[in-house]
Amino acid sequence: MIRTTRRKFLVASAVMAATALSLSVMPAQAISPRSEVGVTSTAIKLGITLPMKGSASFGYNQLPGAMKAYFDYVNANGGVNGRKISLVVKDDGYLPKQAIQNTQDLIAKDKVMAVIGALGTANNKAVASAVNLGRRGIPSLFINTGFSGFNDRKAFPTSSTILPSYIMEAKMMGKYVKDTFPGKKVCLLYQDDDFGDDALVGFDKAHGDLDFAVKVAYPSLSQGVAGVPDSWITKFKAGGCEVQIVFGVASATLYTILAAVKAQYAPKWILGSVGADIGSINPATVPYIIGATSMSFLPSVVDPKDEYVTQFKEINTKYNVGAKFNSWALIGMNTAFIAVQALKAAGKNPTRKSLLAAIDASGSKFPNAALVPLNYSQTSNVGLNGYWFGTFNKTGDLVPNDTFSYTVYTTDSGTGPVDKSSYSRPAMPAKGLPN
Amino acid sequence: MELSDRKAVVVHKLHVTNKHRFLGFVLIGLAVYILSNTVDEWKAFQGATIAVYVVAIASIILLTGYSGQISLGHGALLAVGAYTAALTQIYLNLPVWICFVAAVLVTSLFGALLGSAAARLSGPYLAGTTLALAVGLPSIANQFSFLGGEQGISFDAGWPPLSFGEAFTQYKWFFWITSLAALIMLWWIQNLLRSRYGRMWRAVKTNEVAAELAGIRVARSKVLAFTVSAGIAGMAGALLAATINNVSPSAFPLALSFSLATGAVLSGVNTLGGVMIGAVALVAIPEIASLVADRWSGSESVASLLPDFIVSALLILTVFLAPKGPIEKLRSRHVK
Amino acid sequence: MFELINTLLIGITAGSIYSLMAISIVLVWRSTRVVNFAAGGLALASSFVGAAILEKTGSFWIALPLAMVAGAVFSSFIEYFFLRPLLKRSGDQGAEIFLPIIATLGLLGIIKTILNYIYGDRIGALPPPLSDKGFVVSGESIALSPMRLLILGIVLLLMISLTLIFQRTNLGLSLRAASFAPEISRLAGIRVDFVRTIGWAISGAAGATAGILQTTNGSGSVSPESFEFSLLLVFGFVAAVIGGIESLVGAVLGGLTLGIILAIILMYVGGSLVFIAAFLILILVLLLRPHGIIGSKGGRRA
Repeated sequence: MIRTTRRKFLVASAVMAATALSLSVMPAQAISPRSEVGVTSTAIKLGITLPMKGSASFGYNQLPGAMKAYFDYVNANGGVNGRKISLVVKDDGYLPKQAIQNTQDLIAKDKVMAVIGALGTANNKAVASAVNLGRRGIPSLFINTGFSGFNDRKAFPTSSTILPSYIMEAKMMGKYVKDTFPGKKVCLLYQDDDFGDDALVGFDKAHGDLDFAVKVAYPSLSQGVAGVPDSWITKFKAGGCEVQIVFGVASATLYTILAAVKAQYAPKWILGSVGADIGSINPATVPYIIGATSMSFLPSVVDPKDEYVTQFKEINTKYNVGAKFNSWALIGMNTAFIAVQALKAAGKNPTRKSLLAAIDASGSKFPNAALVPLNYSQTSNVGLNGYWFGTFNKTGDLVPNDTFSYTVYTTDSGTGPVDKSSYSRPAMPAKGLPN
Repeated sequence: MELSDRKAVVVHKLHVTNKHRFLGFVLIGLAVYILSNTVDEWKAFQGATIAVYVVAIASIILLTGYSGQISLGHGALLAVGAYTAALTQIYLNLPVWICFVAAVLVTSLFGALLGSAAARLSGPYLAGTTLALAVGLPSIANQFSFLGGEQGISFDAGWPPLSFGEAFTQYKWFFWITSLAALIMLWWIQNLLRSRYGRMWRAVKTNEVAAELAGIRVARSKVLAFTVSAGIAGMAGALLAATINNVSPSAFPLALSFSLATGAVLSGVNTLGGVMIGAVALVAIPEIASLVADRWSGSESVASLLPDFIVSALLILTVFLAPKGPIEKLRSRHVK
Repeated sequence: MFELINTLLIGITAGSIYSLMAISIVLVWRSTRVVNFAAGGLALASSFVGAAILEKTGSFWIALPLAMVAGAVFSSFIEYFFLRPLLKRSGDQGAEIFLPIIATLGLLGIIKTILNYIYGDRIGALPPPLSDKGFVVSGESIALSPMRLLILGIVLLLMISLTLIFQRTNLGLSLRAASFAPEISRLAGIRVDFVRTIGWAISGAAGATAGILQTTNGSGSVSPESFEFSLLLVFGFVAAVIGGIESLVGAVLGGLTLGIILAIILMYVGGSLVFIAAFLILILVLLLRPHGIIGSKGGRRA
């Protein structure tokens, strides 16, 4: 069978030539005079990649709305040194490959100045090595993870985390459980990756010294598969667990509680901070978590006296229309608040370098809603370092007690002890705007 | 279809030798080189992705278009290639191009195994098997820690030599590596498909019984097709790993296998000539869609949904209007 | 001991839902020799309909049948407007199933994007209508609850009805004849095209049921990007192939086998091996019986 090869070849070549031309002619970004990528005389472009859809997105997909609301508020009040801030949001479905792709997009295509608030331990580890953020000098700030490994400044020179490390959290949990439930059988559900492994370090002998009757590691994203959470509960029940720690993402916590109700498994619940607020995701679960323990470093969302809560709630109502003011909104706005201060401290002509330098130099002094200090410095990438313990009330909100008085604990990611924090939070700048 | 083809040959009789074809490839290579110097780094990255898809789609064209075996799981084969390349680099510390070769060899072996199991399967049974493989294989990485788990392991295709200058970005380097690999692979594949192996596969696809009677060992040809296709897919996987610098299960979801099958159909699954079309479509369509969405509607949801919608619609249109692929359609139009 | 019983119960429940999906796929295959990947999308759409009806009327017992009707309607719609022209074009080449599969894949994509557009971030709520708290047996709560019993009951009911329809009624005879020998059936006066549409309609209803039961058994809410539905489609298809894609009984066997074995692996081995286990089960069955457990070599079953 002899074919008209020449024609085929010509057609193929023509197609390729046309493609080549079209690719090169497609509108590229308009080049405007700027001193730094993502920064013009009137605007600063930031980016974020996180799960917006899919089984791990519950709760986290409310963060960008809150962040944007705060940026809108700032923009309406003059912006940062006259520049308006915009946020490009990309959905990665909690998949590392997608996070890498999105970050490449944000850097090369959208040309953002910095990535802020990126979420997910595995995602950000993958991104840091694959996208070579350090070598390219691209900041990834206030990452929404507590993975202690990011404190390695050599490996991650341009990254910083905002959450207390999971080692810290697990150590505190360990002490709390040993003090409050001595002699009871304690069990643990954790995510089977660096996020969960960090927690294991925090619980081990040298750190939190907590022994578990049953430990179950769940593969990331398996929580959405029917029957999987039920299998976890079956194991816990078989082990006779009395105190159940759930150290997972929000959707995993949600499915765990639902499966437990089905199986009539009712231990004392201790929920890890990153996934605890399931009431905001599915209000039907509120009755099941009343009295469950969890931790937070921000004031309670229903605290009537806290000036940050009041201010952020106002901003949320005005600029984040349709979204309820819950713990996700609070955390999103707080991150945005810190970001804006960092941008301001970066100077009248901010560059990526000056932004990173500003955080090193004065990051620890940025006022924000957290009840523990930020620990950014020349030697530290780590943000916050402590938590208070509380329980979920009838409306599904975490409160420390009836009087909203907080006992905050702090520790390190090493083997140091868990102590009460003596941090006194500085007053909020007027109207919640950076001064 | 065949008869009119013959007529066409009689009318346009031109002796195209291998030398002509080789020249054609060189010209294309030159075009790519020029392109790489004129586009910005983002387009270079997209160019690298297109090259990866070209190789991957070519592997499907060989297996499905020529050998008639359906595969909905080529993503898994890409995964094998990618992990092999990365592991070879991490544990054996070998230079990148050897890692590519390793990827091809290991994936071919895997393909041979798979092919022998699949040789007796047909139609929906083969489809189901490859589908299950696509879903099942990447998740193994979570079980064994040396495979890196969810965040994966890194594969470093290296940085351009300093002598190339400061402006030579890593994306351009990727573009060069992947395009070179793609050109070499395509050259080799198209030679293979024109040889007696290609004819053998076609014969089996058209009529198994007749082929057997004509002396072709049907089972062996099927396994061979799987082996070769897998090797090519392994190369595509290694190239993919090079462009992302990372190999993780999330890089090989079921959607990837579906995308590749889509690209193959858009290219015209029966011939190699249109392989660029599918590859370019897969990369260009999300671009165009987001441009269109930005200009016409402010809705963010439309912007993110439009690419999938357009690709699916194109797929259906192609199946309906040009089931043998756009190139064959054009040719048959012209001949008529 | 209880662990094993619970594991089996979990597996049987999940497996019976896969069987429903498998039945949906087998029905379409038998009537038109096409693997319908869009069945997953249709199940999703029907589940949304179910959730909407549940919201309006508050009754699951109205929502489920109506959703099944919706599934049947959607499915027949697709058969009429989409499949008939498709089959006309690709002719009746026995080995050429690639293109129709790809076309249904494209259809799946379109359905999903449309659903995503309509529903966006909203989810449809499908809480279980019966209590899903397990019964207490000798002081231990086991994984059998009124809801689980309902699921098993519904699947059993559907299976029996379908078998009766196929084996005992004229419609069933027509369905079987039309798929086995369309030309001869036409000559015998059977309205082949109409009968094919019916086959697709039943398939749609089965898929809708599978979708709704999967949701109530799982997270209780349905969203366009739901992982549960992709799984339903994949495992449903795998179950159909295991059982022999020509046979309804095979579909059920395949679904149950898959469900039970996966539940056991989940419990005793580990979560990340579940998917590769599905593949291994499939390849093992096919190595021993290339046409599935109940499939027969070469010929098509009537």
